[in-house]
Amino acid sequence: MSPITWIALLAALALIVFLPRAGLLAQVRHYRTVRQREQVEDALKHLLDREHQGSHASPESLAGTLGLSRAAAMRLVESMEAQGLIETRGNQLHLTAEGERWALHVLRAHRLWERYLADEARMPLEKVHTEAHRREHRLTAAELDELEAALGHPTRDPHGDPIPTREGNFAREMGTPVTAWPADSPARIVHLEDEPALAYEQLLAAGLRLGQDVRVLERTPQRVVLSDGENEYRLAPAVASNIYVAPLPEHQRLPDQALPLAELPNGQAAEIVKLDDAVQGLTRRRFLDLGLTPGAIVYPELQNFFGDPRAYRVRGALIALRKEQAAQIWVRPLEPTR
Amino acid sequence: MQANDVLAKAELLRRQLSSSFRDEIVKSLYAEAERIARRAVKVHGDRTYDLDQQIDRLITSPLTGLPIMLLLLAVVIWTTVEGANLVSEALAAVLFGIGDAMRALFVQANLPWWITGFVWDGVYRGLAWVVSVMFPPMAIFFPAFTLLEDLGFLPRVAFNLDWLFKKAGAHGKQALTMTMGFGCNAAGVVSTRIIDSPRERLIAILTNNFVPCNGRFPTLIMLATVFVAAGFQGWVTSLIAAATVVGVVLIGIGFTFLMSLLLSRTILKGEASAFTLELPPYRRPDILRILYTSLIDRTLFVLWRAIQTAAPAGAVIWILANLPFGSSNLAAAIASWLDPFGHLLGLDGVILLAYVIAIPANEIVVPTMMMMYLGAGMMVEGPGTAEAIRTLLIGQHGWTLLTAVNLMLFALLHNPCGTTILTIYKETKSVKWATVSVVITLGTAFLVTFLTASLARLMGWA
Repeated sequence: MSPITWIALLAALALIVFLPRAGLLAQVRHYRTVRQREQVEDALKHLLDREHQGSHASPESLAGTLGLSRAAAMRLVESMEAQGLIETRGNQLHLTAEGERWALHVLRAHRLWERYLADEARMPLEKVHTEAHRREHRLTAAELDELEAALGHPTRDPHGDPIPTREGNFAREMGTPVTAWPADSPARIVHLEDEPALAYEQLLAAGLRLGQDVRVLERTPQRVVLSDGENEYRLAPAVASNIYVAPLPEHQRLPDQALPLAELPNGQAAEIVKLDDAVQGLTRRRFLDLGLTPGAIVYPELQNFFGDPRAYRVRGALIALRKEQAAQIWVRPLEPTR
Repeated sequence: MQANDVLAKAELLRRQLSSSFRDEIVKSLYAEAERIARRAVKVHGDRTYDLDQQIDRLITSPLTGLPIMLLLLAVVIWTTVEGANLVSEALAAVLFGIGDAMRALFVQANLPWWITGFVWDGVYRGLAWVVSVMFPPMAIFFPAFTLLEDLGFLPRVAFNLDWLFKKAGAHGKQALTMTMGFGCNAAGVVSTRIIDSPRERLIAILTNNFVPCNGRFPTLIMLATVFVAAGFQGWVTSLIAAATVVGVVLIGIGFTFLMSLLLSRTILKGEASAFTLELPPYRRPDILRILYTSLIDRTLFVLWRAIQTAAPAGAVIWILANLPFGSSNLAAAIASWLDPFGHLLGLDGVILLAYVIAIPANEIVVPTMMMMYLGAGMMVEGPGTAEAIRTLLIGQHGWTLLTAVNLMLFALLHNPCGTTILTIYKETKSVKWATVSVVITLGTAFLVTFLTASLARLMGWA
């Protein structure tokens, strides 16, 4: 090859490596800063989490949670201290005011993303956490405000955890673990702890969900048995302790004859009592748009030859719903008039 | 009070709202609407209501529902194919007549042959061909489709078939977008806007191409008549040909479900969305509105996109067929280079090349193929009779029954045409999903034709 070809080749190579922004070097540097930022934010979240639990983080707990070596965790602690995000007292790590502000921002991003992924993107609940964890580092506070407004200012994430406001305020009450709830008194599930993921997946697989009304039937060291009046749920106490419940709000109790629309017999008119709390976002909006509001009269009119979906007469229109959707609408059968 | 105070107060009050306040707002809106309606609308007896119910029972009953559905689909497709033939011929006569006249003018003016060829045998011929074979079927199919939609029949089809789509993790309204695909896959992709959950909409978009569109029906019918039904006599011939085409369509629908299932289990995993489907009362159709929406919104919209891609394709086809390369032209050289790969799939190099360069519209695949088989310098209609086609393809170019069958399968499963790919990109605003749509269809086509070819050779059929 001629020298000119060589020079051109070298120049092209140099460009590929050193080009600002698009060059390989710039890309690596950009990737590293993003990684570092994510690590700092994950560390802040860990500290906040510990503070909410009433204990304190240490370099060891940090290394364990983030999967770092002890030396790397120490370097992270030093750099965060230098940035004024944390203070060390003995072996304990504390958030500074600035650190707490940032930690709450990340927490808010995480929980808003979970809400979005569950309600609008209709992602399975057990996958929401991981995806939200990936996305929580990418939005500015202003973008979060937009997301929050678009979601209709939700106060809880899909697991029932409170979402901090922009100012960092949020409700701290989490309900009582069902393992400490008096037997036989009615309760509503207000929170399903999503960590550890394995226990959470078991709860979802069993069919438990937020807003469900349950009673504790039996509680022994071997097992906890819950009932929602229809199904019984047998759980190991370690799993059941991830369910948090609160007393039923008196005015929101369903009337005794209430049943899901899916179980209403053909040709039996009924009045909608309420839409299930678990229905949020896209699905709830669709229901309301179609006139499936509390107080509306529904009448199952047309059945598919396989029983599903079924078409209901609502406000003069004929609307087809699948069984899963119809199970989320609570109705009270009316006296037969037809 | 300052603006900030107001905002702070609002923030405070918002926290005190019960979670169902949105329900209450909608409820009060409905109450108000009902109050107004009661005052303003007078209802006289409700006779149409009973009639509606009787029709509904007929259409959604297991005994009559499915046959009615299939019959109507068959009638619409048959009318389209038959009716379009007549119009296409007339339109082609006019358009190619204009082309020939202009060409003669160019020749008279002593312009170099390659300018005349490029403009009139390349670009213009591509355009004229696409317009004359694409416009008439769409102008018949879309109004018929819109008529069924307007009557209220199509939503019932979605209602009937939802259980199947539910099993595949898809939305019942995909029955509608799939049917629309029979008219044109690009229009089918646009029509997925009626599905409001993004996940199910993507499934509908990515699988729409598995139903053959108007542009592919003539190819399927030609192959079924000339090759599959060749050994039969008289009326049995048409019966066998029709059965073959129906079989191919059913295979396509089968692949739609299979691919929907695969997608909803893998890259498009997620919860079943809110399935809500309104079944409107049966209405007398508004003919003018039907003509307007079907011709302007659908037909011209698709045709315009097709024209945008047909002109450059016409140019490329002409260049490949006329650029000398070795002892022959570039097209023949590439085709012979592709031949081993084509043979592996039970096809040949010419077919593969035709599918690559005729990507803008399925309608010009066969003319491009014929051009290469006949060694012509521009797209041509094949020989007029079935006998002549058989002589050309079987006698001179080594086709077998396997080639015909695999070409049918390939025509059914291969990548979307350029117009549809462009539409998928515009609808999803994502290069990624447009690419995925090509990869999964082309992958399926390669896999299926490879398997049938290998099986046929293993069994000694071909």
